[in-house]
Amino acid sequence: MSGSELIALGILGVVAPALPGIAGKTKSLLTGRRGPPVLQLYADLRKLLGKGAVYSRTTTWVFRAAPVVVLVTLFVAALLLPVDGREAPARFTGDLVAFAGLLALGRFALVLAGLDTGSSFEGLGASREVTIASFAEPALLLCFIALVLVTGDLSLSGMLGSPLAAAWPRAGASLSLVGISLFVLLLAENSRVPVDDPATHLELTMIHEVIVLDHSGPDLALILYGSAFKLTLFGVLVLGVFVPRAGLSTPAALALLVAGLGVVAVAVGVVESAMARLRLVRVPQLLVGAGALALFATILQLA
Amino acid sequence: MTLVALGVALILLAGLAAVALAPRPAAGETLFRILFGAGCIAGALPALSVLSGATVPDLRLVPVTPFGPWVFGLDALSAVFLFTVLSVGAACAYYGLAYLAHERGHRAVAIAHLLLAVLVAALALTVVARAALPFLIAWEVMAVAAYLLVVLEHERREVRRAGMIYVVATHVGTLLLFALFAIWAGGTSDLSFSALAAHAPFSGARGGTILAVALIAFGLKAGAVPFHFWLPEAHAAAPAHVSALMSGVVIKMGIYGLLRTLVLFGAPPPWWGWLVLALGAVSGVLGVVWALAQHDIKRLLAFHSVENVGIILLGIGAGALGIAYGHPLIAVLGFAGAALHTLNHALFKSLLFLGAGSVIHATGTREIDRLGGLARRMPGTAATFLVGAAAIVGLPPLNGFVSEWVVYQALLRGASAGGVIQLTGLAAVVLAFIGALALACFVKVVGVLYLGTPRHALSTEPREAEPALIRPLVALAAACGAIGLVPVVVVPSALRVGSLVAGAAAGGLQVDAGAGPATAFTVGLAVSLLLGWGAYAVLGRGRERLEAGTWSCGYPTPTPRMAYTASSFAAPLLSVFRSFTGVRTHRSAEAFSTHASDPVLDGVLVPAWRGARTAATWVRQVQRGGLSVYLLLVGAAVVVSLLYLVVAGRHP
Repeated sequence: MSGSELIALGILGVVAPALPGIAGKTKSLLTGRRGPPVLQLYADLRKLLGKGAVYSRTTTWVFRAAPVVVLVTLFVAALLLPVDGREAPARFTGDLVAFAGLLALGRFALVLAGLDTGSSFEGLGASREVTIASFAEPALLLCFIALVLVTGDLSLSGMLGSPLAAAWPRAGASLSLVGISLFVLLLAENSRVPVDDPATHLELTMIHEVIVLDHSGPDLALILYGSAFKLTLFGVLVLGVFVPRAGLSTPAALALLVAGLGVVAVAVGVVESAMARLRLVRVPQLLVGAGALALFATILQLA
Repeated sequence: MTLVALGVALILLAGLAAVALAPRPAAGETLFRILFGAGCIAGALPALSVLSGATVPDLRLVPVTPFGPWVFGLDALSAVFLFTVLSVGAACAYYGLAYLAHERGHRAVAIAHLLLAVLVAALALTVVARAALPFLIAWEVMAVAAYLLVVLEHERREVRRAGMIYVVATHVGTLLLFALFAIWAGGTSDLSFSALAAHAPFSGARGGTILAVALIAFGLKAGAVPFHFWLPEAHAAAPAHVSALMSGVVIKMGIYGLLRTLVLFGAPPPWWGWLVLALGAVSGVLGVVWALAQHDIKRLLAFHSVENVGIILLGIGAGALGIAYGHPLIAVLGFAGAALHTLNHALFKSLLFLGAGSVIHATGTREIDRLGGLARRMPGTAATFLVGAAAIVGLPPLNGFVSEWVVYQALLRGASAGGVIQLTGLAAVVLAFIGALALACFVKVVGVLYLGTPRHALSTEPREAEPALIRPLVALAAACGAIGLVPVVVVPSALRVGSLVAGAAAGGLQVDAGAGPATAFTVGLAVSLLLGWGAYAVLGRGRERLEAGTWSCGYPTPTPRMAYTASSFAAPLLSVFRSFTGVRTHRSAEAFSTHASDPVLDGVLVPAWRGARTAATWVRQVQRGGLSVYLLLVGAAVVVSLLYLVVAGRHP
């Protein structure tokens, strides 16, 4: 593991809570409101970490383990990505399967924690979360397959690292389609509009927020931070495709990473102000559409 | 091989001991335990040594055996299946002793133990047989022993029905196997596998017929869609430890048969590879979707066996295509993934069935919608079941992830290979879809069964299972964890199996699946999870912790009846697949439930059977029992024959 990879991961950990803030601020400004400060989540996290927690009498150790599992799986998943644009700290053949597996493990823990409370609201959210994930995961794999075909490499480090930068001139169309598809998946996997509305006030319409209804104090802090970190990870995926940084010097690559994540967050905010949440039955169609884009990208690469 | 023979003999002896000492069950079961364990160890040791690269001499019974010499041998392919049979067999047998103990008063429990021993011995002989006749004998003993175990609780009507469906299905498979060997041997009398292999390669349609018949016969045993119809019936009807053994091991004999066919047959044509791949994809998706619709825990788990057989077939299909299109790496990886997933599925599926058995034992119901909150009452069972659930979903760092990762590698290498084989990339997407749906299904099972609150009051308060019922679960869960943690140890053995099945096509290729770095990943993940949990526990010490009721968004008096049910949980996904799953929804003002019927069994086979019976009643008119009618018929037959000869122009 080289220095620049460590610094890049550190930056990722630090800037993650700003991303939901930037998205929210964009949305507020576009709709003519002032909105909460961009750095609000940092203050929320500090407050929550200083508090005690309330646990439901129904819950078991599964409920307590979930926030830790969610955060650890996301951190390990970050190790598989070439965050600095060149080389991931850890790589092996087929680690794209491990990346998807880690996201699934985090989801498994979080959704079970929701069901552990015995509340119908959490059950509702859990059911919707796994339904959406059932369509998001094949779409994510299609994106990865397209990247495998473009770069000829079976690890994320190669698929999003230097081989990708070299492939842009000859596979630009495929890569653009994959990037768009990954952005739709970013919205879906992170419970943003048009899949889920993080700002809704009615529990019956929520997905992610309603699963963590019973988490409080430090547990909630871990989950909120985990959500922000997951958004950042998907941002890195999208950036990895659209802004290859393999040939740049370390400071330039890192500066581009931070700026790029900011742009992704603004884009999320713009999408949220431009459209409303889809009906739940339409969400699978959206995700199949994202998968179809990746499939086109794949077909373009078939020799 | 002598050790394997000794092991099989010890296992049979264990069964006989249990019956002989039936009047003193405690002594009989202790002896059973010792002999069975010794037999399994004796058989598993040579299997492990073969898997790590050693070779074992064959055992030949030459002079007096019909249809050529009876050979028994142990190569890497046999070894991985033998190890699966013996390890899972031992866990199921030990569990069965405690599970059936309370029925000693009103059931011939000792006979059940004997039958289980016979079943395990027959399974072991099936995978080491190297000639058609001993293979078929072991196959038939296995089928009959399994049937007798399925109908152990024969006083229940649905058990008798399931047993009948099973016995018909398995015998159709056996008949097809007779046909398979007859076509293969082509009139020669030596039916040893080495003689059969010498017939290959085939010219013309004979090779295609052999492969098609093998696919149907072994697919019927493996429970691949559309031959799955008997599986959920039989596996739900049997006692828990028998279900575990059947779902974990017995259906894998179909997989063994397919792989052994490939070893003997040599390179299959491309259409066969595509067909297997398609069957795998269909079985995988439909298996898990039907599982989502089930609310009977054992039927649900049985449908997951259909799904996992689908995953294994995806591996075999990729391997066959790898041979057919000349990509040895894909062939080795595909077969290796299939072999490893066979072992892994046996481990976690038996774990899940045994865990479900403990729940049924404690609560008296198989309907998951009636249960809930069992993690508090049965913490040991719940924790091991959770491990099994995470493993079957393919989550790292458990064993299901490792084998699916190898299958993915085969499919992805196919996608990037160039040529028609690139279509295997679509199978990788299907595999991801299967994995995500399986996650949804097991979240449903674990969440509704063990978490939350009980949804109905039960007649008796459920209590944790006794230690003898938990120990096999812990052993199986530990095996799932161990294989998941060290791919570097197990993947090379799986690749050895893969190279063997790929045969000459592999050409001595040394495959590195990247198991070393993958081990760093799985171990690193496990350590990170432990460290994270430790840090959480340390930092959380001394913080204020309050206990309260679950927050129900202001609703003051939540009742257990408001808890989310399995029907509701699965409803959004099932509504997507409504058109082809046979799932029906029942809605009323106060309740919502879904009901699933099997399109193949209920839609095709049962109507066809009814039609046959109606036709038979019509034919029965002939059989009136009067002598004069029969004389008339004989006379008519003679006249018709004479007329035929006249018309055909030949004189009598």
